[in-house]
Amino acid sequence: MITEEEISQFIKKIPPTPVILKATVNFVNEGELTKAAKVAAKDPALSKYLITLVNKPIYGFRNEVHDLSQIFGILGTSGAKQVLYSYMLSLLSPSKWELFKLNKALFYDLQAQLSMRWKKILEHLNIDDKDISSAITLLPASIIVCEALFKNHKEDVALLRSVKELDYNTILKRLSGFDLFDISEKIATTWEYPDKISKIIQAASGVKPSDDEQINLLGKWMHLQLFYTLSQVAYIEAGLNDFVDFQVEYVQDIYEEFSLLSEQL
Amino acid sequence: MRAVVKDGIGVFNPQGFLDGNNSPVLLTIDDIKATEQLKVDMILISLKKVIFFNKNGLDIFVKLLINLRSKMHIIIGFCDYDQKKYRAIMKFYEKDINFSLFRTQKIASLFASTNRADAHTVLVYNDDASQRSTMAIELFDHGHNPVIAQNKRDFEEKKQNKDAYFAIVEDTFLGLFGHKVASRVSGNAVIYTVSNYLDAEISDNFNLTYHMNSLNVGFRLFIIDAYKVVSMNIHAFNFFAKLSSAAAEYNATICFVGLTFEKTPEKFKEDLEDSGIMFFDNMDDILKDKELLEELGAGGSTAVKHKRTINKVIVNELPRFIDATVSTIEMMTNATANKEAASIDQLHIPDTENKLASSIGFYGDMDGMVILVFPKEIAKKTCEILIGEETDDEEAILDALAELVNIIGGRVKSLLGEYKVSVDITLPRTYNNLDSLLEMIQGKKGVQVDLNFDNDKFIFFLTR
Repeated sequence: MITEEEISQFIKKIPPTPVILKATVNFVNEGELTKAAKVAAKDPALSKYLITLVNKPIYGFRNEVHDLSQIFGILGTSGAKQVLYSYMLSLLSPSKWELFKLNKALFYDLQAQLSMRWKKILEHLNIDDKDISSAITLLPASIIVCEALFKNHKEDVALLRSVKELDYNTILKRLSGFDLFDISEKIATTWEYPDKISKIIQAASGVKPSDDEQINLLGKWMHLQLFYTLSQVAYIEAGLNDFVDFQVEYVQDIYEEFSLLSEQL
Repeated sequence: MRAVVKDGIGVFNPQGFLDGNNSPVLLTIDDIKATEQLKVDMILISLKKVIFFNKNGLDIFVKLLINLRSKMHIIIGFCDYDQKKYRAIMKFYEKDINFSLFRTQKIASLFASTNRADAHTVLVYNDDASQRSTMAIELFDHGHNPVIAQNKRDFEEKKQNKDAYFAIVEDTFLGLFGHKVASRVSGNAVIYTVSNYLDAEISDNFNLTYHMNSLNVGFRLFIIDAYKVVSMNIHAFNFFAKLSSAAAEYNATICFVGLTFEKTPEKFKEDLEDSGIMFFDNMDDILKDKELLEELGAGGSTAVKHKRTINKVIVNELPRFIDATVSTIEMMTNATANKEAASIDQLHIPDTENKLASSIGFYGDMDGMVILVFPKEIAKKTCEILIGEETDDEEAILDALAELVNIIGGRVKSLLGEYKVSVDITLPRTYNNLDSLLEMIQGKKGVQVDLNFDNDKFIFFLTR
């Protein structure tokens, strides 16, 4: 169904980070938000993405925000870095979704919801770390990888799933030895994401717990919030609810805490 | 979301959070239509991957399940939950619970009629005495040996000896059961269970297609478990007489077990005996008497009166069967499968040692059977994606082989459908002993295609 050759081809096609984006991220890392805004303004697509994303209802701004300096100011360094990584990932998303019933707007919504909820989770856990904050942006990479690799194998997967409860992640792992999260990690490496982000994403798969206590805890929260988000009608209709297996036991010990927090999410 | 079918049980596996908003979208109209076409004894919703649910969310599933039950006459309910979830469901529905709850799919399978009736010792406990009795009766009916704990203390004590039981049935509730004539397979005999008053409705509740198909795939002994029958009228009598005539064409035998004649006319018995039906008092009189089983045809070696052979219709569709097999093997192994040789003859297996086989029947606009024969190691390799881990467990490999032919059957069905040929597929059968496969097909001619992938050879055989 999916060969290692197809996976290598996909990995080879991951584009390098665009120069303007790289420069913007560097300024954000240095805390130079005004300079970051100025550089970002040179890329119309990036500017449009930032304006669209920040004006989504989940960000909760009363008035529409158009000025990039203002946007970077509002987001702060952690928030700005998170949004820039989300943009980077959106560059990899397909123009037309075939496996999942998604479109650009719905995918951006998903990114925005995951980011905002992750922010609240980190506040709840008293964690203030730019890399950890940005880690959530890589989570939708697993969806993009799944779309790219499985879009031509929908019927095969449906037949397999008629006799055995197998998710895309397991099918890929059994076929190639790689899973969706391993390939997401390759994307992170190509784009020079900090190591910590890849480790959290691997733990968030729910099937590869980390030995590092903090990373494992963050993986659990991320796994649970992914399924909280994917249980929404729009994402169930998009076919995202069961693209990877939900590991109930992995998140059992944080569920009570999560359910209390979810009232605010 | 589609139901995963195994051992006559269709299971939906929702995950995450279930509430009144998202439950309706988890099952689309197409999913429900596809479910209605399934040949299953039970449809269950697994709560294994559900971390949160509320009553509104469950209500939507319950409503859908009840609709399915009224159309399909099957058992419906939920499975795969812990005690906390069980208590929540019982609290939500209190005395208004008209579906079943099975703590695990393994427990559910004990109550499914299609499953092989390997007798298992099962420990049963429920706070409610009537539930305990109902479960005990149903388990006994399904060929098991239920051990009933009379109270919690008794249960906890018996539970200590875990290894003594195949399963421990707790946090389980039997709601309304389906009304279909239940069927199961014991060795090479098909057992149908009928109950109460038998009248004209028997022809609606009896799955004649399943029966004809069982004849086609080689079953020769059919036992009608009639312990719970009060009486039958002339319409039911006529139905069984016709069933017997059809069976005679295949040299098959139909037996009634446990039927009493207090309220059923003795004349019916005489006439049914004349039409070839036999009567026994106890199931064990047949199932435990090997010589009698052989004599009645359950050995599987009885000659077929009208041997059905491969015909032009099937040969014309052969490329689609081969395509379905080759593409399935390729999909599951990522290796290229090639056709080596094809011939129309009896099934020829050069060496029957260390080989496994599986078969699946199809019926409708055309009928027949696909058989695959693999060397054991190749079967394991082919099914790696389904097995998931290294195993030499023959049962797990046979299970995966059954799933493989099920996928092939599904593919054949959809390929033929594109050419307006409508067929249904049967449950798959597996063979760890090829002698019993050869006995089953009894020298029938068919199309044999030798296939290979990555230089590993296996046999595809298509017959009627």
